[in-house]
Amino acid sequence: MDKADTLVADLLAFIAMDGCTDDQFDQLALRLFAYQYASNTPFRSFCQRRGASPRTVKTWSDIPAVPIDAFKALELRSEPSSPTERVFMTSGTTGRAARGRHFHPALQVYDLSMQQHFATRFMQGTARMPMGILFPDEVTMPNSSLAHYLALAKSAFGTPESRYFLGPEGLDMDGLCAVLEAAERTGQPYALLGASFSLVHVMDALRAQGRRFQLPAGSRILDTGGYKGQSRELPLADFYAGLTELLGVPPELCINMYGMTELSTQFYDNGNASLPSVKSGPHWIRSRLVEPVSGRSVAPGERGILVHCDLANYNAVSTILTEDVGLWADGGFLLLGRAEGAAAKGCSLAVDEFVQAARA
Amino acid sequence: MIPQTAERMRAGYLPGLDANQLRWQVLVFERAGKRLEVEVPLLSGAQMQALTERVRAAAQRQLQSMPLAEIVGAIDRAIARLLDPADPYRRQIDACLPPVCGYDAAMVRLGLNGLFKTFRAPQLWRFIGEDFANPAVLDGFVPAIKGGAVRAYGPGLLLHSWAGNVPALSLWSLVCGLLVKAPSVGKLASAEPLFAGWFARLLAEVHPPLADCLAVVWWPGGAQTGDSAEGAQVLYAEADTVMAYGSNQTLAALRQQLPVTTRFLPHGHKLGFGMVGRAALDAVKAPANARLAAWDVMRYDQQGCYSPHVFYVERGATVSPRAFAAYLAAELANLQQRFARRPLDLEEGAGLARWQQSLEWRAPADDGAAPQLIGPADAPWSVAYSDSLEPLAPTALYRSIVVVGVDNLDGVVPLVAAQRDYLQTAGLAVGPEDLYRLAGLLGAAGVTRISALGAMGVPEAGWHHDGRFSLLDLVRMTEIDAAAEAAAQPLARYAD
Repeated sequence: MDKADTLVADLLAFIAMDGCTDDQFDQLALRLFAYQYASNTPFRSFCQRRGASPRTVKTWSDIPAVPIDAFKALELRSEPSSPTERVFMTSGTTGRAARGRHFHPALQVYDLSMQQHFATRFMQGTARMPMGILFPDEVTMPNSSLAHYLALAKSAFGTPESRYFLGPEGLDMDGLCAVLEAAERTGQPYALLGASFSLVHVMDALRAQGRRFQLPAGSRILDTGGYKGQSRELPLADFYAGLTELLGVPPELCINMYGMTELSTQFYDNGNASLPSVKSGPHWIRSRLVEPVSGRSVAPGERGILVHCDLANYNAVSTILTEDVGLWADGGFLLLGRAEGAAAKGCSLAVDEFVQAARA
Repeated sequence: MIPQTAERMRAGYLPGLDANQLRWQVLVFERAGKRLEVEVPLLSGAQMQALTERVRAAAQRQLQSMPLAEIVGAIDRAIARLLDPADPYRRQIDACLPPVCGYDAAMVRLGLNGLFKTFRAPQLWRFIGEDFANPAVLDGFVPAIKGGAVRAYGPGLLLHSWAGNVPALSLWSLVCGLLVKAPSVGKLASAEPLFAGWFARLLAEVHPPLADCLAVVWWPGGAQTGDSAEGAQVLYAEADTVMAYGSNQTLAALRQQLPVTTRFLPHGHKLGFGMVGRAALDAVKAPANARLAAWDVMRYDQQGCYSPHVFYVERGATVSPRAFAAYLAAELANLQQRFARRPLDLEEGAGLARWQQSLEWRAPADDGAAPQLIGPADAPWSVAYSDSLEPLAPTALYRSIVVVGVDNLDGVVPLVAAQRDYLQTAGLAVGPEDLYRLAGLLGAAGVTRISALGAMGVPEAGWHHDGRFSLLDLVRMTEIDAAAEAAAQPLARYAD
């Protein structure tokens, strides 16, 4: 077994555990850091510029956080590229042209990470449910981590009649309504999963047709990814109120997933009865809130930029600096949107406007 | 928690309107434990209409028949008060503008003194003289060289739409309006809602006939519906000239609201840069020039249209461009002691970090010539040095600057020419021959102002903002043809 194989085997075992101590997390994080430092050249140069090395990094929070833009500029990988690897790419909607790439030599760690956590947070003990997926499949979008995630949800947790409702012809509203009606009739709980903007399209279509459903108790909805300019933007309260009104799913069972192409682990909330909801992850991912320029953790009660240390990210880099603003809350963090970089209020030209003008 | 001291004040200047009849919105500014609440007025369509009519009528009665010298005298007296550190207006400005804008108090005081000095009477006459060979055309018909006579009339109603972060920016356009005798209504920027109202009140105090000739209002940016949107619509319809500052997006949205017959004078965001020639790079001159360059970066944390983003520095002198960058970094560190950078909020910090990181992640991909950051990443300034030609592009502001080593300054011209739409000020440190030669090239490329290093942020009285005429663009000329004059002669009482 080479070094990567041993690491992967240990990771799989770590993820399969019920939890971990701070010490256990640190040990694996430091091992992962040493591995990535040794085998990922751009990451090593970055660490050297920050004065960080396996000798100076003592705990997971010392690991330099790589900004997600670096996934666009460079190939961040520890294992050489291979024909069988999967590459997940960012959707390129964040305002800059290049797409971030996350290389997965194999998906067993990603898949176990997804399934372990999905089983507890979304399935909540139920083994399988009929599922409707409101997103393209993996064949249509082979580089979408979300397409893979939803395909995995369907194959690992869906009953055989689960299916996609978004194809090349667009949203199959008739098919969806038929399935929802059937669920109402049989009383078997149903799960709808998809991008937030797809659910907005579904709600708009239901309103246009004057239809609404009362799905059986235990039915649930998973939304993720925001709107990305694909639908009108809805305030969170209207979004979840709409799902409850039109589909009969209570806000406690409308669960939002916060994930990123650059990560291999997702965060969930425990429903959206109170907003904004508290997000949390499993034991193999930890987060910090930092002041962006210095990278120091912010004082308690202050907003900061989220940094995640995801042990399932074994091939790229474990620790990333997001562009998301967060605030600590009981049991996790609140997600307060994206730090776009404030527009210049004076007459000087700021990068964001310049980039926009250059694209126009 | 630090206990907060709160202060509440009202902004705007609304002659003839009863403050109790208006709705007010509170803008809150909180910095360093000080809390300032500024109430800004929300006018209905009818209230805005009444205000506009009053201002227009007063200007017709008072301002338009007022000799230019009297207007200049009044502005001069108001400015003298603003330059007096003991004057209550000045004390209010010094106390309130720093917490509102977030800038260091010493920087604001210095910046305002520099600004106010350019509006004293002698400077105002230069300002007028720059646009009008004979300022008397603003007072009445004067004989024209071609024959006949000519007179300049200001706008029937001038609307100012101000931008935020450079304190007292509104003074430029308010003075321009007064000098061409225009009734003026200005819209305050939410980021700096105070100065314009104070200036209007002060002017009314020093010269009561001007009291009703201008007004200062506010409405929320982007408001499409509701009472205050109605107020905005009234002004958009009534104004025949609109002078506006802001981002190109803001300006485009404003232009769409205006009738096609309205004269629109936009001042959008600009991109400044500097050039340092070999002659300025010996052991004595290089540190001095780096200090001047640092002042340009420090002033208002680069929020001005004249602020530099890149300094192009020539190779081949005793002091290398890289060493110049190090001097600049050291001077920025020194200036931080005197004029601290404004504390950044999370979003501003995130933008700055993103800019720094984008430089950082370019480095390994290149042959070592890509930009490198000098000094600690969390310093309240950042200097990036590049040995390869970098395009002229905006930095993250808040004292972030790129220094680029070049073989000769002429090679920079095509790079800046690519940003023609955004060019305004270039700060130059070169000898006299180079100054004129480069000025010729830069002017052709689209640059509209060449300044000394260290003076990029303090335009001279009478400068042509964005290459245009400050006063001439506001007026229309009425001519009496020579033939009309000749034709009048036989109709005179004294005709033979």
